[in-house]
Formats: sequence, structure tokens, C-alpha cells
Amino acid sequence: MSKYDWLLFLHVTGAFLLLGGGVVAGALNLAALRRDRPSEILVLFGLIRIAVVAIIAGTVLAFVFGLWLVNEVGYGYGDGWIVAAIVLLILGNAIGGFAGSRDARTAKFAEELVAQGDAPSAELRARVRDPLTLVCNYGSGLILVAVLALMIWKPGA
Amino acid sequence: MLALVRPDSWNLPLFVHVLGAMILFGGTATVAIAGFAGRTRREHAELLARVALKTFLFVVVPGWIAMRVGGGWIASKEFPKDEPGWVGVGFAVSEPGALLLIALGILAWVSVRRQGVGRAAVAVPVLAGIYVVALGVA
Repeated sequence: MSKYDWLLFLHVTGAFLLLGGGVVAGALNLAALRRDRPSEILVLFGLIRIAVVAIIAGTVLAFVFGLWLVNEVGYGYGDGWIVAAIVLLILGNAIGGFAGSRDARTAKFAEELVAQGDAPSAELRARVRDPLTLVCNYGSGLILVAVLALMIWKPGA
Repeated sequence: MLALVRPDSWNLPLFVHVLGAMILFGGTATVAIAGFAGRTRREHAELLARVALKTFLFVVVPGWIAMRVGGGWIASKEFPKDEPGWVGVGFAVSEPGALLLIALGILAWVSVRRQGVGRAAVAVPVLAGIYVVALGVA
């Protein structure tokens, strides 16, 4: 394989980990929305941490090898589609990270409820279904799909 | 460098193919994660078996369809006559892989029927894990 092939392989692997991790997090989050028992919500939120590791590793791989590819192929770092992709990648991760920190606080609260007898709680239900957190979680996923579209269409290249 | 120059008409099928593959990868990984977690968290085994089955039905199956339809579409445009070997590897994973996915779906359903315990519950994450690795190779 040529240097270009290796860089593309590592960049695409990163993209798969990033978006695949997002799918895992989304599926487990949707499952948690339908549960009431704190211990069940805690288990599902706990498994989302595996997805977060994939998302972080994928972001680093896609970003680093993506920038390297720009240099290797001869695109400009100032090209509109590349700037837009970088901005959207940072924005998507920032919004996802904000929602993730709120979910981590919800998981902590669920853990406290489990220790108190694992009874369903209206407050926990409200936190799991918090509209701002859901919009940020699923909005960050849509932003990453938009980045994928930019990578394929390369508008202006 | 030729790989970078692509007719615009190839972009939509490529997007459908890649997005489908990513959804399939993430969905199958979710089935594996929920299945393995059900082995160690016995009190939540039934819940996790249900999560695995619903993820299979609503994420893995649509992802496979998008990946396969997009793949066939882009291959017909890019290689209208003879397909190169690496395209054959992709089809070799996707088509027998469909049989593996059907088996996975049946086992996930049996696992839910048995409250997430038994042989089916053991087989679900193993099969899903094998398919995730195969997808990585493809």
C-alpha cells in the first residue's frame, strides 16, 4: 500500500469509529429513554462509556490523518469544504461533550437512587428525557453525518 | 490521485453505502456490547437481550440494506463490466454475512424469549463480534 492508501485507511477507520460509536451511543440512549428503574438506566448509561472511547479515538484518528491527507493530496487548508468540515467536527464534539457531561450527572443521580432502593423517580425520568440534552446528543450526530457528506461531495474542490 | 477525481453522479450512492456501513458497524457493535454485558449483569440480562434484538431490527437490518444497495449501486457505476478483487471481498462479506445476520436475528429473538439466559444469549454477542471484525476487514 502507498502512503496515500495508509493515510486514507487510518482516516476512514477513524471515521468509522467516530460515527459507529455515535450509533452505539444513540441506540443505548434510546433504550434508556424507555426505562424507569434507576438500575436499568445506570446499566445503559454505563455501556455508553464504551461508545465514548470509540468516539474520542475516532475523532483523533479522523482529524490527524485527515489533516495529513490534505497535505499529501495537495488540497489547501483554507479550502471552504475543509474549513467547514473542521469547524463542524469541533462543533459536533463540543455539543456531544456538553450533552455527555449532563448524561454523566444523570448517571450519578441514578447511582444514588439505586443505593436508596432502586425505586422509579420522576426527577430521574425528567433528567433522562431532558430536551436540551437530547437535542445536543442527536444534533451532534447529525452534524457528524453532515461532515461525512462534505467528505464525499467535497463542494468547491 | 485518480481515486480523488470522481464523477458527481457517484457521490450519492457512495454516501448511502458508507453511511449504511457505519450504521451497520455501530448497530452490530451495540448488539455485541449489550450481549456481552448481559453475561456479566445477570439481573439485567433480559433488558440487555431486548436492547440487542431491537437494535438488530431497527439499526442493523436497515444499515445492511443501505450498505448493500449503495454498494451495488456504486459498483455498477464504477465497474460496469469487470469488478476488481477488493470489490469481490466486500460482496463476499456482505452476502454470506446476510446469512450470519439472519442467524443472529433468530438467536437474539430466542434469547429474549428465554429472558436473556441460555445458549442463544451466549451465541448472540459472539456472532455479532465476528461480524464486526469481518466488517472491519471488508
